[in-house]
Amino acid sequence: MKTLILEIKGNSLDDGPGIRTVVFFKGCPLNCIWCHNPESKKAVIELSWDKKECIACLSCAKVCPEHAIDLKYQNFVDRKKCTLCFKCVDVCPSGAMSTVGKPMTIDDIMQHVLKDKPFYDTSGGGVTLSGGEPLLNIPFVSELLKQCNNNAIHTLIETSGYFNWNEFESCIAPYCNTVYYDIKLIDEEKHKTYCGVSNTKILSNFKKLIHLSQSMGIHVVPRIPLVPGITATEQNLTGIAKFLHDCGVDNVELLWYNPLWPEKCMKIGNNAKVDETLTRWMPHEEYERCKKLVSGVTITL
Amino acid sequence: MLLFTSQSKFNTIGTGIFIKSFLKFIAFNFNNRKSLNRYLKTKDGYLNFTIGLRTEDNSITCSIAFMDGRVTVSGTIAPDANAVLIFKNEDAARKLLLGTPTDIIYMLLKSDVRIDGSITYSNIFSFFISLLFNNVQKRAMKKERQADEKKVKKEHPKPHKELSDEIARRRKERLKGKKEDPDVLYLEDPYLSHYCLDDFPRIKKFLDDHLTKKPAICAERAILLTQWYREHGFDTDNNGTPWDPVLRNAYAYKYLMEHKKPVIQKDSLLPGTTTSKPIGSPIFPDSTGIMIWNELLTIPYRTYNPFDIDDQTREILHFEILPFWLHRNFKEWVREKYNNPLCEQLDERFALYFDWKQATISHTIPNFPKVMAMGTSGMIDEIKAELANDCSQEKRNLLTAMINCLEGINAYAKNLSQQALSDSYQETDPIRKQELLKIADICSRIPFNPCTTLHEALTAMWITWIALHNESLNAGLSLGRLDQWLQPYFINDMKNTPPEKREEYIKQAIELVADFYMRCTDHFPLTPDLANFYFGGSSSDQAITLGGVTPDGRDAVNDMTYIFLKVTEMLSIRDPNVNARYMPGVNSDTYLKRLCEVNLITAATPSMHNDAAIIKALTPLGYDIQDIRDWSATGCVEPTLSHKHFGHTNMQMMNMVAALEMALNNGYHPLTRLDIGPKTGRPEDGVFKTFDDFFEAFTRQFAFIIDQSIDYNNTLAEAHQYLRPTPLLSAFIEGCLEKGRDVTKGGAKYNSSGTAIIGLADVTDSMMVVKKLVYDEKKYTFADIKKAIDTNFQNDPVLLATVHKKVPLFGSGNEEAVAMANRIAKWAHDYFASIPHYRGGTYTTGFWSMSNHVAFGTLTGALPSGRLAGKPFTPGLTPQPFASKNLLDNIRDVAKLDPVNLTNNIAFNVKVVPSAIESREKTVHDMFSYVKTYFTLGGMQMQMNVVTSAVLRDAMAHPENYRNLIVRISGYNAYFVTLNRHMQLELIERAEYGI
Repeated sequence: MKTLILEIKGNSLDDGPGIRTVVFFKGCPLNCIWCHNPESKKAVIELSWDKKECIACLSCAKVCPEHAIDLKYQNFVDRKKCTLCFKCVDVCPSGAMSTVGKPMTIDDIMQHVLKDKPFYDTSGGGVTLSGGEPLLNIPFVSELLKQCNNNAIHTLIETSGYFNWNEFESCIAPYCNTVYYDIKLIDEEKHKTYCGVSNTKILSNFKKLIHLSQSMGIHVVPRIPLVPGITATEQNLTGIAKFLHDCGVDNVELLWYNPLWPEKCMKIGNNAKVDETLTRWMPHEEYERCKKLVSGVTITL
Repeated sequence: MLLFTSQSKFNTIGTGIFIKSFLKFIAFNFNNRKSLNRYLKTKDGYLNFTIGLRTEDNSITCSIAFMDGRVTVSGTIAPDANAVLIFKNEDAARKLLLGTPTDIIYMLLKSDVRIDGSITYSNIFSFFISLLFNNVQKRAMKKERQADEKKVKKEHPKPHKELSDEIARRRKERLKGKKEDPDVLYLEDPYLSHYCLDDFPRIKKFLDDHLTKKPAICAERAILLTQWYREHGFDTDNNGTPWDPVLRNAYAYKYLMEHKKPVIQKDSLLPGTTTSKPIGSPIFPDSTGIMIWNELLTIPYRTYNPFDIDDQTREILHFEILPFWLHRNFKEWVREKYNNPLCEQLDERFALYFDWKQATISHTIPNFPKVMAMGTSGMIDEIKAELANDCSQEKRNLLTAMINCLEGINAYAKNLSQQALSDSYQETDPIRKQELLKIADICSRIPFNPCTTLHEALTAMWITWIALHNESLNAGLSLGRLDQWLQPYFINDMKNTPPEKREEYIKQAIELVADFYMRCTDHFPLTPDLANFYFGGSSSDQAITLGGVTPDGRDAVNDMTYIFLKVTEMLSIRDPNVNARYMPGVNSDTYLKRLCEVNLITAATPSMHNDAAIIKALTPLGYDIQDIRDWSATGCVEPTLSHKHFGHTNMQMMNMVAALEMALNNGYHPLTRLDIGPKTGRPEDGVFKTFDDFFEAFTRQFAFIIDQSIDYNNTLAEAHQYLRPTPLLSAFIEGCLEKGRDVTKGGAKYNSSGTAIIGLADVTDSMMVVKKLVYDEKKYTFADIKKAIDTNFQNDPVLLATVHKKVPLFGSGNEEAVAMANRIAKWAHDYFASIPHYRGGTYTTGFWSMSNHVAFGTLTGALPSGRLAGKPFTPGLTPQPFASKNLLDNIRDVAKLDPVNLTNNIAFNVKVVPSAIESREKTVHDMFSYVKTYFTLGGMQMQMNVVTSAVLRDAMAHPENYRNLIVRISGYNAYFVTLNRHMQLELIERAEYGI
């Protein structure tokens, strides 16, 4: 059994308690326009070209059978011609040309994870499954979680909440210690516009999860990614806060907006125009304003 | 050697004519100006010598002779010239004459000019030139400094207050600790979080002085000793009988200590000063002292480590002291006895190795517990009892020498007591008056009698420390396990203090220890300007060791451990160099977290060590396990078995990369143009059929360099035995009394010499590149690689990118790279260990670099590893910054090095940057997690710089905001703002990991 993994990142200090290894799955049912891991959206292997690493030696152009690589192309690669044969990746000396996504087995992943185990033990860390959406492939993730359990490794899932509840309840919940659960937009129409799908399933899964978490001892942390003008609005934040309050939840984490994703889009050949407000870091005052809006509805941060 | 005419004028005449005119100008002035001519005659008569100058191809030859007060210039060089300056070419000769003193240093380092023969005479010649041109030199030095400062300021015009504030703010927030370590008996909050520097006004003042006052050269010791030797003879006594050097030095030493000026430092609780100055640099004319002859006029004006020197000191040094030591210094003694041996010539080319014995041996841990427990009187009694037995003449002499030295200490203490008493009469402040009376009282009994209180114990230690520094130059003489040795006195005081007064007493204990730290900063090693390039910013490196386990393996962390850590945190000074031991499974998390917190607050200290790995490393050497468990860090990081071991743990700095360069060039060393190594073949000729063939070529070159370095070490060791045996130190090292042999001759219970091998990561990575690209994958020929490095990769960007990105390097988490590092370390260890040691015992191998990774890097061409020409090597054995983006890969790989090969310890530098928004608890917890895991995995040593490159850049341009920002170089701490630019940039360019 293999699944497509975007990256396994060790030494993460920001994705849960302690020192963690984050396994990024590739593929996501949502299509959020601000996604800060745009290369994780598609569940297929892609080609990436990193301008910063490129030394313009043109070794790649020489081996490309489709003549899809040339300095004259915007972002170096003509994506229409490219057949993803990855011959360019093999010859690239600097690593500027690379494949995005690698099919991996549970054992492959566990090999990485177990290397870091001593660090989890001293720091109270563990494994974080992120993406993409890790719960797109529940049987795989379930098996991976079991293996972590067998090795006494703390597990955490970062999810969009867009998953099959029944499968989650039987195959994931018993093996997972913590869930970071994103709630992006409370308004269904806006959710469709900006994330590509309705939020009904997400909200209903959340309610069920809160209910289940009490009996199973799963730690649930709802999170709101702050996106200027989209999620970071008064209406949305107070709406989400109210929803959480109604669910009996009194904690939420706000994620500071990260404007680095347009650059990542370019690497995989996506040159879509980005609204200017989305290319800047969120100012501190704006973050504080958002915090106030949420905490106004009796939510502790 | 600054010019007396403008460059444009000079360019129009031939170099040969110019040099001769230059020499004639000197001769004319010295022959005709009384003010100059008088310098040619000293107390020992005329300075008679000849200096030749020539180009390598002899296109220019001339010489200048100083004879009976007359100076003459000749167009030839007499075969008996004392020293010949050999220029690489005529351009180099021009440059040398036109250059600033800094230029000249770089020319020497880069082999644009070399000195054949006596460096001392060449220095005197430089001093004479300086007498003529010192004003020009000073102006040039000032101009150079200003231009440099202007350049840096231009790059970073505005100070970033928020950055300097952040560092200062760190000490405001302090965690509390749990009382859980079994030997912490009294401290309810072992982190002592409610104390800060403001609670100790006198310490604050000491610190301020330390950071603002320039040290002054103190000639007191040299004057007194030279007086004694002039009166009683040096080689033979007044009856013409050859002196036993041990006895001679002991008598002279006693005279020194009896006449040394007793000084009670203003406001200090600990009496005595290393020199006669508030912050002084004692001059040791038998080693480094003679090396600053040429700088007597300019030393206050140099950019790095300037020293004040008054006119009287300068005059007495030139006319009375230094001439006496002209041939009685380590370097010239070896040169004369062994006819300018190759091993010494190689050392003096600066690019292969540096032997520390040309300065001192130091680098051991004296027996403080002994003097505290039995007093000098008890020690003398013990020696006398031994003397009553049937003794050999050697033993009889040594024991007599020891007694004389100890009596010298007693005389000094008595003088201090009287001084304190007389100071108290003058004192108007009643509180200080009482303090002075107390000091007078303590010194009247201590260190003669055993100590009972912490104040007495620290006084005994401090007076002993001064005494040892007056016997031999302090470079890495280290203090040992002070928390262990002082805890009994702390407990005794506590027992005698009523419970309601205990908190007040704890505060006094902190103040006393802080005072002790500040006393340790009262002297500074005097080094020639050249040494600032090699050891920039280094102080004496007086290591203190804390924590770990007791000799029987129990948790050693106690109240005093935390008091020392508190002082370390509050003062944030570079020296004493604080080293903390940690035993996995024995020492507590509370303790390790405190080490991390102090590291965070001070940004650079303490350095942390894993007892388990040290024990693994030292056990095969056959040492007693109880003694191993009692190890202390010495100088930088090196293990010494406390007060039983003469381990000269920094006998040398060894540039392993030079061996690699010679293997790539068939035994030829490119920078020095020396064709000296074995003929192992040119890689371009395809002589290396397999990778192992090349590896063997490397080891043959390395063996050649090591052999030479050991030759030099041995001959210098002999010089020490004759010129500067150390009977006082011998009284403080176990074994000497019983064997009746001085430490310099192998009297200690354990003997060894330790090397610091530089460039393990660079050599490993270069080997990996050759192995993978040439032999395994066959992507490139060896000739391709050789061509690329010969041209500094300028025409080979693809190869350079491949090396950086496609070859698994040390620190990337690749097993093969780790195996390569282990293979190299093992070879070095096994080879050194196979060499017979002159004192018995063994040679130990360490992989740390002080600042020599920068110095040697500057003198080395491009490497297969992709490191470009002139760039620093990595510090210690730290992986290259681009080996992996993941710090855990670095940590794991370093932890996988077999400790058995790391018998002289390592320096693994990690630069971490705390997030601005995380809590103190989280930041400390993250640091703790790295260190604890690294130690659990078997890693030996780790040192963290907790500072961003942005801060360092700001500090470079605006030093006034960062005067006490300490950084870990490799093994030692330095004030960042006092480092030379190369070293500052190396620190800035180190990999930085966010936490």
